[in-house]
Amino acid sequence: MRIALVLLGVVLGAYGAVLLWENPPVIITRIVVWALVGVVLNDMVFAPVCVALGFAGRRLIPGKWWPPVAVATFLSVVLVFLAIPVYGKPGLRPDNMTVLDRNYPLGLWISLGIVWACVPLYYLAMRRLPVRQDEVVEQESTDDVERQPPAV
Amino acid sequence: MKAATLRGTSITARVGLALGVAVAVCFVTGLISHFIQHPQPWFFWPTRPVWLYRVTQGLHVISGIAAIPLIIVKLWSVWPKLFERPVIGGLVRQIERLSILVLVGSMLFQLSTGLLNIAQWYAFKFFFTTSHYAMAYVAAGAVLVHIGVKLPILRRALGEPVDDTPASVGPTRRTVLRATWLAVALATVVTAGQTVPLLRKVSVLAPRSGQGPQGVPINRSAIAAGVLGSAQSPDYRLTVTNGPTSRAFSLADLQAMPQATHRLPIACVEGWSADAEWTGVVVGDLVAAVGGSRDSDVRMISLEPPGPYSRTVLPARHVRDGKTLIALKLNGQTLDLDHGYPCRLIAPTRPGVLQTKWLSRIEVVP
Repeated sequence: MRIALVLLGVVLGAYGAVLLWENPPVIITRIVVWALVGVVLNDMVFAPVCVALGFAGRRLIPGKWWPPVAVATFLSVVLVFLAIPVYGKPGLRPDNMTVLDRNYPLGLWISLGIVWACVPLYYLAMRRLPVRQDEVVEQESTDDVERQPPAV
Repeated sequence: MKAATLRGTSITARVGLALGVAVAVCFVTGLISHFIQHPQPWFFWPTRPVWLYRVTQGLHVISGIAAIPLIIVKLWSVWPKLFERPVIGGLVRQIERLSILVLVGSMLFQLSTGLLNIAQWYAFKFFFTTSHYAMAYVAAGAVLVHIGVKLPILRRALGEPVDDTPASVGPTRRTVLRATWLAVALATVVTAGQTVPLLRKVSVLAPRSGQGPQGVPINRSAIAAGVLGSAQSPDYRLTVTNGPTSRAFSLADLQAMPQATHRLPIACVEGWSADAEWTGVVVGDLVAAVGGSRDSDVRMISLEPPGPYSRTVLPARHVRDGKTLIALKLNGQTLDLDHGYPCRLIAPTRPGVLQTKWLSRIEVVP
């Protein structure tokens, strides 16, 4: 099973490489560079920035706020990625007004606003909703543990 | 440290599985679209249901966009492995690292070029369709190799519960997974409205709002096609040929023929689609007018000067279909110039790019 998967994968990948190889060298170079730039941007820029944000966030943002803030940050990153090709309408052509025909800055800001509005709502909901005992215990840190009761 | 414990195989395996499903949907629907445009003898593409291509190509773009948050989390969950020692290691380790490089590179290539292409932003200086097609095999192959190599780890991780115990107060692995599914839903909602009418208003980042002349978006305008003069010329004729037999139809001739009205979607390779009511002459009637066989393919030639999509071949199965029209009207109005005036092809289950506009010639292929 595993060997079959790997073999099939190698054959498929090789077929793709053959198809790519049919391009002139300058085009192959551009394609490979595009793919490698993606890897380098992820590994050397995006990932370290995420680590730095996570590191700072855990220390600067109060414990119970951190999970919803981290989730909202992640959702914002996804929204921003999706907005990149449409935000400034770089692909707009004057002869076709049916492409890129929305107000993308407004759309992005509204969606970001909704995402971040959910953070305090989540926090409030978590405080008001009944929680299971074990969850309460799990959410507690060393600061939450009461001091030793006074000796009688 | 917290970050080290939050990452984990339980997340990698589950998100990886979802990503694998998204990639599989993307790959299969992409191949379908490719083979409709480059027909092979073994490839069968039905004419019913009429919305079939709308669904497959809509899914292609939706699953590709859904893969973006998935790959972000997947790569985040394994990032520390980049620095694992030994850095060089033996031959097997080098091959494994190389396969991961190919996997990540090809996946990011596919997702980034696809996302730019649906917004018609050609920032890359290579031809999108051929490179996206070729790289699809590389990516699919790399995914299969990766699954083959990691299968035991995958099986074990999926069998174990998601570790729910936070090292301190903060997100748990379960939170990470929930956030991932939430991000997939969010990415879908803000973009899928270009093909799912229900989401049209909330898809604030979709490249198309669904608006356009006569309520339908366009991709190639009459100006871009360079047909402003020829399409509006009083001398316009649609020539239909079958070998030596040839007939020329003026617009009035076409209007005088029996008209049929059908509700058919126009579905673009870029993932947007719209339903519309098309009125015109059934293609089969025009083919019959020159004595064409019901088993022949038919070539559609546009007024547009020769280019990649100025002529297309309509398979016999679609020629025979009673819903395949040479449309003269769209949503009850004379076809807009940007929609292909004086007449255009509209057939069920075909990509928009093959619904040839500004028709000048229809040739029965012998």
